Amino acid sequence: MRECKIVSRKFDIKNSHTLEVARLHDGYRTLQKLQEYAPTEIIQIIKDANLRGKGGGGAGAGEKWELMPQNSDKLSFLAVNCDESEPGTFKDRQIITKDPHLLIEGILITCYAIKAHHAYIYIRGEYKQYQDILQFAINEAYEAGLLKECDITIHRGAGAYICGEKSALLESMEGKRGHPRLKPKQKEPEWFFGNPTLVNNVETIASVPFIVQNGADAYREYGTQKSPGTLLFAMSGHVEKPGVYEAEFGTSMMEYIKYYGGGIKNGKKLKALIPGGVSCGVLTAAECENLTLDYESLRGIGSSLGTGGMILMDEDTNMVEVLKNILEFYHEESCGQCTPCREGTGWSDKLVGKILEGNATKEDIDKLLDIANTMNGKTICVFAPAVSSVIVSFIKKFRDEFEDRV
Amino acid sequence: MSFVFSDENLLKIEELKKRYPSPEALCLPCLWMAQYQDGFIKLDAIDAISEQIGIAPMEIYRVVTFYTMFKLSPDEKLNVQVCKTLSCKLCGSDEILQHLKNKDVKITHVECLGSCGTAPVMQINDVNYENLTIEKVDTILEGLS
Amino acid sequence: MSEMVYVIVDETTYKAKEGSLLIDLLIKENIKVPYFCYHESLGADGNCRMCMVEIEGQKRPQIACDTLIKSGMKVRSKGENIQKVRTDILELELINHPVDCPICDQAGECSLQDFYMDYGLHNAKVTIADKVKHSKHVDLGSNVMLDQERCVLCARCTRFTDKITHTHELGIIGRGDDAKVSTMPGRKLSNPYAMNVVDLCPVGALTSKDFRFSQRVWFLQTANSICHGCAKGCNIYIDHNKIKYQDDVIYRFRPRRNDAVNGFFICDEGRLSYKELQENRQEEIILHDNIITEDEALEQIKNLIQEFKNNTIITIDANLYNEEIDAIVAFAKKIDAKVYSPLEIYMDEAFGDDMLKSSNRAANAKKIQNSNIRTETPAKTGLLINFNHPQKFEADETINFATHKGKQASLTLPVAVYSENSGTLTNEDGLIQTCQKAVFKNNPTPTIIEYLIRLSS
Repeated sequence: MRECKIVSRKFDIKNSHTLEVARLHDGYRTLQKLQEYAPTEIIQIIKDANLRGKGGGGAGAGEKWELMPQNSDKLSFLAVNCDESEPGTFKDRQIITKDPHLLIEGILITCYAIKAHHAYIYIRGEYKQYQDILQFAINEAYEAGLLKECDITIHRGAGAYICGEKSALLESMEGKRGHPRLKPKQKEPEWFFGNPTLVNNVETIASVPFIVQNGADAYREYGTQKSPGTLLFAMSGHVEKPGVYEAEFGTSMMEYIKYYGGGIKNGKKLKALIPGGVSCGVLTAAECENLTLDYESLRGIGSSLGTGGMILMDEDTNMVEVLKNILEFYHEESCGQCTPCREGTGWSDKLVGKILEGNATKEDIDKLLDIANTMNGKTICVFAPAVSSVIVSFIKKFRDEFEDRV
Repeated sequence: MSFVFSDENLLKIEELKKRYPSPEALCLPCLWMAQYQDGFIKLDAIDAISEQIGIAPMEIYRVVTFYTMFKLSPDEKLNVQVCKTLSCKLCGSDEILQHLKNKDVKITHVECLGSCGTAPVMQINDVNYENLTIEKVDTILEGLS
Repeated sequence: MSEMVYVIVDETTYKAKEGSLLIDLLIKENIKVPYFCYHESLGADGNCRMCMVEIEGQKRPQIACDTLIKSGMKVRSKGENIQKVRTDILELELINHPVDCPICDQAGECSLQDFYMDYGLHNAKVTIADKVKHSKHVDLGSNVMLDQERCVLCARCTRFTDKITHTHELGIIGRGDDAKVSTMPGRKLSNPYAMNVVDLCPVGALTSKDFRFSQRVWFLQTANSICHGCAKGCNIYIDHNKIKYQDDVIYRFRPRRNDAVNGFFICDEGRLSYKELQENRQEEIILHDNIITEDEALEQIKNLIQEFKNNTIITIDANLYNEEIDAIVAFAKKIDAKVYSPLEIYMDEAFGDDMLKSSNRAANAKKIQNSNIRTETPAKTGLLINFNHPQKFEADETINFATHKGKQASLTLPVAVYSENSGTLTNEDGLIQTCQKAVFKNNPTPTIIEYLIRLSS
């Protein structure tokens, strides 16, 4: 388990959030590279490095950057997604409080590459404390003359998980309700008031300085062939030492939990694990034995890596209660725009509630699977398919716990 | 009584208008300013914001009801927001909630606050109080009263 | 310029414009596909997910309202898979829908009912106690009643007040299954076209307060007609019914689609103008405060015409049918009378707007102008024969053919209103439009032409 600090290099340094300390540790050094490379060359480096988006989707960042026009009479924008609301995920918060200047550096390089001159950081409303630290860093950057080519504005959300979806984020920034947009038929950039806009996660942007400074090959030294680089994995729940610890892709899941997390709390045994924020299918302890932390490995077992925020559950956990808790979250956060999601999240929440109370029948369990099927692939965004996969995974792997209660 | 933005906020609004391609983007920032000014969002404030940014009042009202953090009426007691989502639940948020029921506060159940590694957590007036125990809760509440 | 291309739907080939919406083609060719949120005047919103069809080459079913026509596209709108999709989504629409059919005005013209009969027919799996509760019978103002529980959140009504009237009274508030349609607290729905949301609403969430609990729609008979409220000539349906032992009564007007005139909508004032067709009607023939028979009246008219030869003026209401105006002009020629139809009185600048309402309140003013009838007020005359013109004229003797009570005259005869007769009108753009006879009264009032025929014999 080797140390890989691409994004978390300065996390343990005192006052790492200040410009002075950042500069002492090579902060903004990469800006010199912008004299050497043209914008399209920077995009090529990112593509060669196969930097994958760290907001939960894992799509290639370079390909997304390529969709932005290099010659347009419209203004281009960058929107940094800091709406981190996926339960189990708390990694972007570390970056903006412990190394905000790394994020700013990444923003400057990205804006240079996509020819944008204004970046917005959409931050969730509940992160006000951390927003203040980020704003302080941005003010320092303005005073030091670093933001002459590119303005940065923080845009505060107000409590909606769905605004982490990239088109809903832009709707929210346009002053409307956070309703995800209908997806276009061909590949095109996102639009902010009709202007082409790139939406990337905080950690994705924070990874850019290392890649441009050291080259694509240096980045690919870490991780696996298809999932290169690192991710700020996290652990929470029944683990001895919860927290965020950067590791390279391909690390063995159990080793990671033992090394960084100290194993399960109170010496108990692992029963179930949710790998990457609540929207990923649940795994049994047995399934986790030989898993490695990368996108391919988890897709192979029918789940997904998501944001890498693992939630660990010990042997005494009641899985029906866990599913109820998760469905309450989805019920609360559905935007309500399209029928299958709006009604499906409410109804499945109530059904699991009935199962928990002991008022349900066997047909209700089948009904749950039926609702999950209706929510899959028939909605405007991927919120409902995520709910669907969660419900299916819980019932498939812990069906006996559900049937015990009917 | 009709709502008027403070001079400081009016200056901020003018500054912000320069940073966006359309004044409509100022919907959320203006709503936050109005809420911090009065403690909640009055209907008059919505009309005032409508004049500033050119969105019809009903459109702004729809936005206010969409997000959980905007309040349409003032809090009578201290608003304690306790995270009830999975990681916090696994780490004992239920006990914290039970304990808070005996206190003279308004308890709001909120979804994941992004503090899963330091669960259980509660947020009061934009500040997170993490790694809670019952004793800590008492100390914190005493400090705030 | 987008060209016409060929697409195949359910193994039949159709021609359609490239880049146009698939759902428009399906509607035009009467290929039955359920939908709530799409409306040709409002565009697509993609939120109800009911219009899903299978497209060859696409893994998942796609919504027809967001699919553009491409040459060679193969579409399947029938089949087991797509039927299951529709049934499942319909079930989700219904789980929180209140079982209000017995008391809901929309019954009989409700999309949910229709789709349930076509794609549902399943038993409810949710008890009434578990359904989400919202406000019922909320008076939104402008004669519109809202029932939030019945709403399927198709957003047609909110898009109407956004994009069509630009008055922004309605919106969806809240989130998830707590979302509901509402106005801002303390504010009402208030614009001249508000009641159109009642027609747009596919279910019984928005209903007309005026029509509330009046009549079951399957008893209504429908006639095609034209609103007489102004010179625009919006196309309408007249819904009427004759209950046993009672008379034929109009219960409501509804807009009738005409892309050349009024599109899909009518103004509220025109919609409610059915009431005046049934109120305060002239019933009897009155001569100097005495009721007389028709024969006596006709005799009296002939005598008066004889007496005031060369001193007779005829005035015509600019709301009469083309045929009636022609007949009166011919009659005037026969008795050597001058014809007038002062139009000033019909002008109302405050009424006109840039949508549908015309500031000329006369439905057939164009016909008057085209017929070279004098439009200024006539001087005092000996005999005045007034065919329902609203103005007061000076004359020694007046004969009134009137639809409604209230005009002072020596002799007053009742005539049929336009809904009790058929004919054509010419609107302000010169379009000639037909009105069907809608109401068949037990004791029908004679029409103007019927009187003129009897006078000629």
